[in-house]
Amino acid sequence: MTITRRTFLKRAAISGATAAILLSGTRKAAAILTPEQEYATIIDLTKCNDCVHQDTPACVLACRTKNQDRFPQPEKPIGDYWPQPVHEDWSDKKHITNRLTPYNWIYVQHLQVEHQGSIMDVHVPRRCMHCDNPPCAGLCPFGVNNKTPEGAVVIDTNICFGGAKCRDVCPWEIPQRQAGVGLYKKVAPKFAGGGVMYKCDMCIDLIRDGKEPVCVSACPNQAMTFGPKEELRSYARRWAEENQGYIYGDLENGGTSTFYLSKVPFEAIDRAIKKQEVDGKPGRPTMEAGIGNPLDEPENIAKAFLVAPVAGILAAGLSVYKTMQGEDIHEDTEA
Amino acid sequence: MKILRHNRIIRFVHWITALSIFVLIFTGIGQMPVYRRYNVDQIPGLGWSSDFLVTVNIHYIAAAVLIFISLYYLTYLIGTHRFDILPRSGDIRESVQIFASMAGLAEEPENDKYLAEQRLAFAITAVSVIMLIITGLIKVYKNLPGIEAPASIVFWSAQIHNLFTAILLLSVIVHLLAFLIKDNRPLVPSMFTGYVERAYAERRHKLWLQKLEGKTESAAEKNII
Repeated sequence: MTITRRTFLKRAAISGATAAILLSGTRKAAAILTPEQEYATIIDLTKCNDCVHQDTPACVLACRTKNQDRFPQPEKPIGDYWPQPVHEDWSDKKHITNRLTPYNWIYVQHLQVEHQGSIMDVHVPRRCMHCDNPPCAGLCPFGVNNKTPEGAVVIDTNICFGGAKCRDVCPWEIPQRQAGVGLYKKVAPKFAGGGVMYKCDMCIDLIRDGKEPVCVSACPNQAMTFGPKEELRSYARRWAEENQGYIYGDLENGGTSTFYLSKVPFEAIDRAIKKQEVDGKPGRPTMEAGIGNPLDEPENIAKAFLVAPVAGILAAGLSVYKTMQGEDIHEDTEA
Repeated sequence: MKILRHNRIIRFVHWITALSIFVLIFTGIGQMPVYRRYNVDQIPGLGWSSDFLVTVNIHYIAAAVLIFISLYYLTYLIGTHRFDILPRSGDIRESVQIFASMAGLAEEPENDKYLAEQRLAFAITAVSVIMLIITGLIKVYKNLPGIEAPASIVFWSAQIHNLFTAILLLSVIVHLLAFLIKDNRPLVPSMFTGYVERAYAERRHKLWLQKLEGKTESAAEKNII
């Protein structure tokens, strides 16, 4: 969607008032949450400081505490993904908080970003972006990953087979796999499936109770704001224009429910992330600006589904006519 | 002397259907994360098989071809009133009789253009294809931007799609295994050339032959060389 300056200003004027109320009051958003409305989060990188004086950032701690009963409890020993001599097991690394794991659904990455000749510290909380048209959900072969009307993308961990396809097709490789748990254990654990995929679910249970996600409410710096999506989008765009800043998540992957605000371009942040990448494993997502949605190409091909049946019927009409004329009852040449 | 069994149109439909179903099953299985795990993508020339975004695109293209040919075939059958491949009442009993005759336990019934078991196999395949097209279209539709389908629709369309993939794959395997039976083998060249020997038709498809020969003299001549 292209937003011209005029439409942008028009939208900003309409929603500006609501957004201003939302963003000025620290926790007022909770009061106006209504179900069946789409929500989003603004993550303001100018405010996040990685909770420097604490061992674990408040958002990470809040998420781990809230979700601890939902973390996987694999039965050991865990078998490999035959015939490959590997399996993914994070159960002995539950303490890790500097990347996404099945036991850590949000982390804060501390980066030193080079921009215009100077180096500045940027802290980036990372979790599922909750995309508008999530490839992870769209391409799940079992249909157990869904986008809710509230905008949250939620994996049904009771039915997930742990093939990790959702991670492969996610532009940020967000979902993380734990082996030794889930439905696959009851079918043919040696030959099919690999565990269960885990990721942020936007605290969908809390949203439906009219509350904010815990990472948002736990932030001592109010770096995160939760609220109605279109209002936050308008606010984010206005903020970027007024502050010569940048947004990430508005257009990426065809649009998401997470809008990062930054004073430094995300190209620079992405370069810093890639520089820091050490093990090459998923779980430390990059931030490529303008990254496209992998579902775009099949969507273009899908237009053929409108033409194919019509073409089939028309072509058959011609063939019926020829057959009834007796043209191809007899095929001398091939006899 | 040879008799035309499958005209050009039917052969075209058969082979386009076969090709699209082969591609759909291969790329469809590729939507499960199995080709990398089982090293299929290590086979020279199949490196692309574990790339979900490549296989999903090929799957869509092959699906459009299958939809085209299915509608083409359906329209053709209706337009020409050729319903001899559709199941009839008593087909299950007759199929049992055919299998019993193979074991020497019964006489083979007199058959029309298709055997009862062929008509039943066709029905199973056709129903599978229809179900796969319907659930497949739902799966495509829900992935369009701005479309949010209820979780139950997403779940059941995926499950039914997977179930009928298994049924279709089995019916393809049974279809190919049928050619292990010697009596069925003349039908292999006929799907390429269109023709079967008259003697074969007389022995195995007596009712069909009678119908052909019962037509006007000129039409019968056209069918029999």
